[in-house]
Amino acid sequence: MALLEVEDLAVTFQRKGTRPVHAVDGVSFTVAEGQVVGLVGESGCGKSVTSLALMGLLAKRGVKVGGRALFEGNDLLTMPNSSLRDMRGSEMAMIFQDPLSSLNPVVPIGLQVTEVLKRHRGMKGEPAQKEAADLLDRVGIPDPRRRLKEYPHQLSGGMRQRALIAMAVACKPRLLIADEPTTALDVTIQAQILELLKELVAQEGTALIMITHDLGVVAGLCDEINVMYAGRVVEAAARRPLFANPTHPYSVGLLGSIPRLDAPKGEKLRPIPGSVRDNIAWVDGCAFAPRCAHRTDECLDGPPALVQTYTGHSYRCVNPFTSDEVEAAAASAPILRAPAIVDPSTETDGER
Amino acid sequence: MSTKTERIDRLAELTARTDEGGHGLWYEAFRRLRRSPLAITGAVIIAIFVLIAILAPWLAPYDPASQLWLSEIRGSEGFIPGPRPENWLGVDGLGRDELSRLIIGSRQSLLVGVVATLLGFTVGAILGGLSGAFLGMFGKPGRWIDSVLMRFNDMALAVPSLLLAISVATILGQGLVTVMIAVGVTQVPVFARLLRGSMLAQSHSDYVLASTALGVRKKRIVLNHILPNSMSPVLVQATLSLATAIIEAAGLSFLGLGGADASNPEWGVMLADSQQYLATNLRLAVYPAVAIIITALGFTLLGEAMREALDPKLRK
Amino acid sequence: MSLLSVRDLKVHFPIKRGALFDRTVGHVYAVDGVSLDVEQGQTYGLVGESGCGKSTLGRAVLRLVDVTAGQVLFDGTDLASLGAEPMRKERRRLQMVFQDPMSSLDPRQNVESILSEGLAAHGMIGDRKARRAHIQQTLDAVGLPSGALSRYPHEFSGGQRQRIGIARALVLKPDVIIADEPVSALDVSVQAQVINLLEELQDDLGLTYLVIAHDLAVVRHISDTIGVMYLGGIVEEAPSDVLYVSPRHPYTKALMSAVPVPDPEVEDTRERVLLKGDLPSPANPPSGCRFHTRCPWRQETRCDTERPELTLVAEGHKVACHWAAEIEAGQIQPNSEAVVAAAEVAA
Repeated sequence: MALLEVEDLAVTFQRKGTRPVHAVDGVSFTVAEGQVVGLVGESGCGKSVTSLALMGLLAKRGVKVGGRALFEGNDLLTMPNSSLRDMRGSEMAMIFQDPLSSLNPVVPIGLQVTEVLKRHRGMKGEPAQKEAADLLDRVGIPDPRRRLKEYPHQLSGGMRQRALIAMAVACKPRLLIADEPTTALDVTIQAQILELLKELVAQEGTALIMITHDLGVVAGLCDEINVMYAGRVVEAAARRPLFANPTHPYSVGLLGSIPRLDAPKGEKLRPIPGSVRDNIAWVDGCAFAPRCAHRTDECLDGPPALVQTYTGHSYRCVNPFTSDEVEAAAASAPILRAPAIVDPSTETDGER
Repeated sequence: MSTKTERIDRLAELTARTDEGGHGLWYEAFRRLRRSPLAITGAVIIAIFVLIAILAPWLAPYDPASQLWLSEIRGSEGFIPGPRPENWLGVDGLGRDELSRLIIGSRQSLLVGVVATLLGFTVGAILGGLSGAFLGMFGKPGRWIDSVLMRFNDMALAVPSLLLAISVATILGQGLVTVMIAVGVTQVPVFARLLRGSMLAQSHSDYVLASTALGVRKKRIVLNHILPNSMSPVLVQATLSLATAIIEAAGLSFLGLGGADASNPEWGVMLADSQQYLATNLRLAVYPAVAIIITALGFTLLGEAMREALDPKLRK
Repeated sequence: MSLLSVRDLKVHFPIKRGALFDRTVGHVYAVDGVSLDVEQGQTYGLVGESGCGKSTLGRAVLRLVDVTAGQVLFDGTDLASLGAEPMRKERRRLQMVFQDPMSSLDPRQNVESILSEGLAAHGMIGDRKARRAHIQQTLDAVGLPSGALSRYPHEFSGGQRQRIGIARALVLKPDVIIADEPVSALDVSVQAQVINLLEELQDDLGLTYLVIAHDLAVVRHISDTIGVMYLGGIVEEAPSDVLYVSPRHPYTKALMSAVPVPDPEVEDTRERVLLKGDLPSPANPPSGCRFHTRCPWRQETRCDTERPELTLVAEGHKVACHWAAEIEAGQIQPNSEAVVAAAEVAA
């Protein structure tokens, strides 16, 4: 049984006097033990709302949640609040995008970490302090004992995010959800944080749901990737097959429109025309149809069904890209080889 | 292209056209205001108040100054008649029709409220506007000008309206003008600080930087960009200040500085007069008090609704 | 002669403290001695992380912040020493495109007003009909419909607002456009539209660009020459492809290896240089080479005492590092902790 099975998750925001907004419109995916799953999409695709729904962090009023989210067989969406609170922090934990607003500015870091320890592991006093310091050390914060007394604003962005990660892994959760954890950070700091996440996941066997808009991040981190558009998963595949054979026109479009570091200068980008405002509702057809290069009449008949291939690659499209087309597009884009950092001739095993 | 794809293109066109667009932010705010129950309630109250004030001479059943029923009171050992067919709200201590006094009294309140707020708004806006503009856009010399202007502001802030009213009264004598000046001057600092802060904040925004980068002259930036974008909180404040002005004016009149004479009733004076009858005829205090409260409430409701409608965070 | 040159530019912001009298207790060395040249019709990309001073540099070139020292030579004139009114007139030829399209447009101005303002400020095209025609043409050039004229910024999408910003700069027929993070506030799929637009406009109108961005992939794509900034100074400058294939400065190497690439093959096989620690504060920069506190190739001598100069190491390729030649020749190896081999990570 998978650790987490999300089936047809739907989140609708309804305020009086306005049209209902289907932020999440039927999302399904699974997360196995120790697996890293990516939810990729641009703003408005519903990926963040999905994670909030899973953690039970959405407001009660004006929000309707449908579908099921089975964590080891128990439905998170219908669980009583008290059980959910017990699970949060100990079985499931979340890391948010902006570390400054996610940390309480008037409480020292140490206290915020020991709060988690006290709540779920019943630790107090000196043992809790020591454990907190150990955690901060584990996530790579230098001089952890001193940091325990410091306030969030005294730490840099990268340090704050590490502190948040420390709080999240304090109770060795089975599932970690990271919602754009590095978007607000500089690229060299981002690399450090991603390394840290990789290590933690590998060492503890924690499953990770990585939510991001950056395809480069998922290319290096995730085992399975779900591409989301307008509240639904439009393509899901393992890492290599997704990048080697993107099938859904949105995935293809996305990959063709982002500038790659290793592409030579002068390569033309192929943007996706229009914007998310041009979407139509899923009930009327494929939401992506107005912007799609592969649009046919069938696309407006109704929502495209999910197609599963035997390789575990699935997509929602009636006229997907074939691997030939993708190859043809790729052929015209030569890639520059990355430079070697260490001169291989002088490298010795001992040094590493 | 077949009909289905044409359908989608038309759909996109349609969704684009239903939003006719071309509407500025004032219009959008106004539309929001129209739908707000708070605004409607406030506007209705104000409308009624203003209508009564304007049509007062025709609405009042009797002359507010004539003590028509004085003899009746004297005759019945000080018993003051309450609401009855010929006097809907009864009669006051000197035999004058209460309803007429209330109606005519509204004119005074309206006049004082509006003039005092206008005074405060104008002087305050000039003071605050100049300060904010110079502080935000003109560097070192600007900061100096701001300091000087704000000292004037502090002077106005330091004087409580009562003391000011008394001082003005010793020069000009008691009367409406005294009250107007006193209340008006105390309103000045609020507007000045508000507009100054608003303009300062706007002068640091990106679009001001963008206009500077375009090569637009500073004066134009201040007048065409900073000022219009700084007005919302000031307009909200003006509405709310009207409410306080009415209450403060009534207060000053209550204390005897309004100098409203017998022929020109005023709600504050009516309150003052009612003091001696509190034990026996509480209604004589209740009527003017309720009138003051409801009128002030109307302006407050509208002002709060305006604040919500103009709040940029609540915009799309 | 380059169209736009910056010579030893310094922008130091004083830090003021004190309740009654403002005392200057220190400085933020936002830009600390930068020189660069932008050739006509070319794109110079300035890249770096937060605190490196690239945005400040862009604004200093346009005198939107005060210049502490140095020269900004535009077509022979030193902008840094011009008086207020002459500078205002020069602005017509150097325009800026801002990062946040929402905040850089006055919400109370409709598009027509936004586009006419610049023209009015410089007394261009007095005739109303001609002015309208010119504005229409500019709208076409950036891909906005003519119906946009009467609309207000909040009625447009992010990408469209950025186009309005570009149109506003373009309508003055400038020579140089400085783009400060032109696409970072936009959705990924819209970024490409705006990038393509900027490239087309450059081809059609012969514009010269200074593009400031933190996204290395975007900068690589659009720039001819790239300058990498760290803590107020340029550490390496090279043509775009050369910079990727053979970065010489340790910081550039780290930066390049940190940028995620949407390709599992590449991600799995590349080596990464992981820097330790955080960026130092620009108010308190390290002595000597600004980068020495985090540099995996740091040596015992010179790195913490002497600030390296930007020197030419190959055609069009400059590096500011004392040991660049030795590193290139393989004589100096990086700190073993810092370099992470791909094989290790995938385990």
